[in-house]
Amino acid sequence: MIRIKPEEIELLSKYICGITGIDLDQKKAYLRENRLGPLAGEQGFSSYGELYYKAKVDPALERKIIDAITTKETLFFRDNGPFELLQHKILPELIDRRTAKSSGLLPVPIRIWSAACSTGQEVFSIAMVLKELLPDMTKYNIKLLGTDISDTAIAQASYGRYNQFEIERGLSRDKVLKYFNPNGGSCWKIKDEIRAMASFRRLNLMLPFDGLGKFDIVFCRNVAIYFSLEDRKKLFNKILDVVERDGYLVVGSTESLAGVCSSFEPKRHLRSIFYQLKE
Amino acid sequence: MNTLRILAVDDDPVTRSLLEKRLVKAGYRVETASSGDQALDFIGDRFFDVVLTDLMMPGGADGIGVLEATKNRWNQTEVILITAYASVDSAVDAMKKGASDYLTKPINLEELMLRLQKINTLKSLTKDAEGLREAMDVTEKNAAQTIQDLEIMVSELQHTCSAIKRTLADKNLETPERIARSLKMLSSLAG
Repeated sequence: MIRIKPEEIELLSKYICGITGIDLDQKKAYLRENRLGPLAGEQGFSSYGELYYKAKVDPALERKIIDAITTKETLFFRDNGPFELLQHKILPELIDRRTAKSSGLLPVPIRIWSAACSTGQEVFSIAMVLKELLPDMTKYNIKLLGTDISDTAIAQASYGRYNQFEIERGLSRDKVLKYFNPNGGSCWKIKDEIRAMASFRRLNLMLPFDGLGKFDIVFCRNVAIYFSLEDRKKLFNKILDVVERDGYLVVGSTESLAGVCSSFEPKRHLRSIFYQLKE
Repeated sequence: MNTLRILAVDDDPVTRSLLEKRLVKAGYRVETASSGDQALDFIGDRFFDVVLTDLMMPGGADGIGVLEATKNRWNQTEVILITAYASVDSAVDAMKKGASDYLTKPINLEELMLRLQKINTLKSLTKDAEGLREAMDVTEKNAAQTIQDLEIMVSELQHTCSAIKRTLADKNLETPERIARSLKMLSSLAG
């Protein structure tokens, strides 16, 4: 493993924060070594400085760094609470309001965004909730978007294929059999009808949200925790612009918007919290 | 620390006894079965970390039968197949069915020990990861509850502060009344 030099720590930390928002603890230099060492070695660099200078002029290498440095920890129905919230509170409320407003001629639009979807487990968990809750999907025009900064995460999400370890995290045997097909060895692939409900694209939350449109529900969980307070403020203020006036925001179970974005108001339902725009 | 529970399955008594001796010497807990069918009985009854089985055995269940039964019963059990050089192809097929490794005859015992050490390391890492995940889940759950309670509390405080601010600026009320109402709101917070 290539050792990181003290002067490279700050250089890399600033660079990584600039491109991903990830505010790495400078004391945790080993994290950079573990995550970037194999990449630097594979590219034939002898120092992290070389990796840095090459990446600044090579977007493909920069994307590889992003892949290596981002945490992809996720599981189906992570924390459970937000999905119960979605099923028993948010979706029924939203559908009532949207149906009342609709002419009855066109399918009722429901737009949901999973802002940091990693390898797709959150998006497909949401899709499963929708499928269970809405027997007649033709009455709704569902747009379920998953975005993530990592190319490889988005590629896996889009392919919808999971190994035994991933599939066993958060899913009952019944759900696996209902929503997945066996796919070579001990892998499983999401069924086409569920896959077809979602679209995936790469998006860097640090950049402007151009052309994203508006959403009724935004899931932005366990990503801002890696950002500095300043970047967290910027992120949630941008999310403010893409949430419908009566829309919903769900953040990670240990996250708080107090002192981050005062335009959202927390509301409690059973054991979970969601946010809506202040009146 | 060698705590793996191993089941060695071979119809040849010499190989069986050699394996048993060597594995026990290395500190593993070993049981042996002289046929596929006997192995199935053992597997149906109790958990082994590793099943080490000959691929070709006469009558009843062969190595593949033992592999399938093991994986059906205990997904976490690692199965290593022992095969004659001529049947390496069937061993590769067995890997596709979930075997973790194969060894060719004559068994190189040093190689076997290395494979077992690797399995042992992997098992303890998996156990560590499971422990860490459980600790993280519990911590996260507790933290989430605290944070959510605080989040709601802060929000209620903000509402009250705004109400007090409005009351204090209310021109329709006399000053003593404004103060009285504000104090009442404040005291409701303390309660």
